[in-house]
Amino acid sequence: MPASNTLSAASATGSIQPKTGTRKPATRRQKRDWMFAAGFLAPFMILLLVFQYLPLLVMARNSVYDYSLLNPAAAKFVGLRNFTDMIEYEDAAISFGVTFLFALGVVLLVIPVAFALALFLNSKLPARGLVRTVIMLPVVTSSVVVAIMWSFLLDPSNGLINGVLNIAGIGNQPFLTSTDQALPALVAMTLWQQVGFGAILFLAGLQGLPVELTEAARIDGATRRQVLWNVTIPLLSRTTLFVVVIMTVFSLQAFAPAFLMTQGGPQESTNLIVYHIYNSAFIMQQAGYASALSVVLLLVVLAISMAQMALLRSRWNY
Amino acid sequence: MKSTPLRRGLFVALVIVLILCCFLAPYAWIVASSFKNQLTLFNDVTPLSWKAFFPVGGTFENYRTLFERTNVLTALLNTAIVSGGQVALTLLLCAMAAYSLTRIKFPGARIVFVLILLTFLLPIEAMMVPLYQVVSGLGLSNTLAGVMIPWIASPFGLFLLKQAFEELPVELEDAARIDGAGHVRIFFSIVLPNVKVPMLTLGLITFLFSWNSFLWPLVIVQDPANQVIQVAIAQQGSPTQLPNWGETFAGATVATLPLILLFLALQKYFTQGMTTSGIKG
Repeated sequence: MPASNTLSAASATGSIQPKTGTRKPATRRQKRDWMFAAGFLAPFMILLLVFQYLPLLVMARNSVYDYSLLNPAAAKFVGLRNFTDMIEYEDAAISFGVTFLFALGVVLLVIPVAFALALFLNSKLPARGLVRTVIMLPVVTSSVVVAIMWSFLLDPSNGLINGVLNIAGIGNQPFLTSTDQALPALVAMTLWQQVGFGAILFLAGLQGLPVELTEAARIDGATRRQVLWNVTIPLLSRTTLFVVVIMTVFSLQAFAPAFLMTQGGPQESTNLIVYHIYNSAFIMQQAGYASALSVVLLLVVLAISMAQMALLRSRWNY
Repeated sequence: MKSTPLRRGLFVALVIVLILCCFLAPYAWIVASSFKNQLTLFNDVTPLSWKAFFPVGGTFENYRTLFERTNVLTALLNTAIVSGGQVALTLLLCAMAAYSLTRIKFPGARIVFVLILLTFLLPIEAMMVPLYQVVSGLGLSNTLAGVMIPWIASPFGLFLLKQAFEELPVELEDAARIDGAGHVRIFFSIVLPNVKVPMLTLGLITFLFSWNSFLWPLVIVQDPANQVIQVAIAQQGSPTQLPNWGETFAGATVATLPLILLFLALQKYFTQGMTTSGIKG
């Protein structure tokens, strides 16, 4: 019984050590402090509740209605039909599938390339600062500009990438206009855009490693390769997990490439989920269905974040 | 064995040149092409010539039409207002909240903290439909205030500053408190001046985020007079429907240059902020 314990402790020691008495009535000074804390927190908390928690409730409510944003007053309660529609019609499954494939491609490419870049940057290099700066440029460039840049780079007839391929003796490729090449092209673009961020995170991890460990392994006769695989990579498992989660969550929320470069096509092969939600709500005017899609996306992202926290709490890392 | 250091040196140099080309060539092409007319631009790419990356035979025509015939100039101004306002308000509100949470013991502090902690997990961009309804319900659609207001209470900002405030020794404030200084004075004249670097980092990250935001302004603003730069250049067109690539490239250059310059000047703080934001999830 914690409450009675506190009480008895307070009554036993209260006269000697007044500070331990948590149940004592607040002093005037304390009350003034509380009022002040409330006032100082209020603007932040009000905005947080209105713009983060309220939309959550609105979204949950809307997902069981059929309505359009043009006339929300005419909403019709439809129960779980928006969710059963998602199963019945293929669009949601295709869109989530495309998005997962996109995220998987981004993670599988970014992790090794970013790690290799970080290893490279962690060695003695001329122009190290320059390389570090240059790989971060796409990270600070907006996704709109990156999308515009790459839709022209990938242009089937006059794009720069086809210009380079021609020199290598390869003919023009369709890229974004082909159902097979569009999604891989977007993955390649995202690799270019995000790899610098991944490399900086890995580099921070590498520089945080105790040097003694790798030195000890070298003295014990391990080759460079053995040290890399058996010491460095296991020690960086925490960092790797961070990068994986960041890239996954980033990819799941990608919007500009689908909106600007492919309009989700050809044949829905790049119909990323956030673009699908945008289309359903603002173009097709099926806001209830879009809310249901958002609920599913939210649950997926929450599940990933939870898994990350669970893994980080566990002691499997070194 | 003697040739190993030399070969390694050559290999390293080659890799560096390759990396620089991969990351710089697209920028060079875009910027150089923004000074060219359509025909020169295409001729330099097929077959590919070195001229594609330099403004050879340049003209300012694209920039002139961009500023005279589109809303890009207004959009730049709007973006500056939104980003500036968002930075100022985020810094102020996050710092005030962080002060309350680190300097005052009050009942319910745990609940408040958990409420903030949970929003870290929300993919707010994916919640654009309900957010649109909330913001337009407040009468803020088509306004610059509507563009910035949902992002001001930033959980990332609060955590960054809370950590900085916790590292600040309380002894700094004790003297002032004994002198009878209130919380407001301690906040403004003792705490804030000692957390300049975290404030700068948060300000930069907020500015980057705000300047580059696209989906939310696209959704909440339809009036071209209140549009921000990313949406303005996105609506200029795509390669298939646009008569002039150079003009689009000019738009992209104008939208990117301010951030790149800021990044180059304050790279250390940017990188610091990005790594922290990454680690915080």
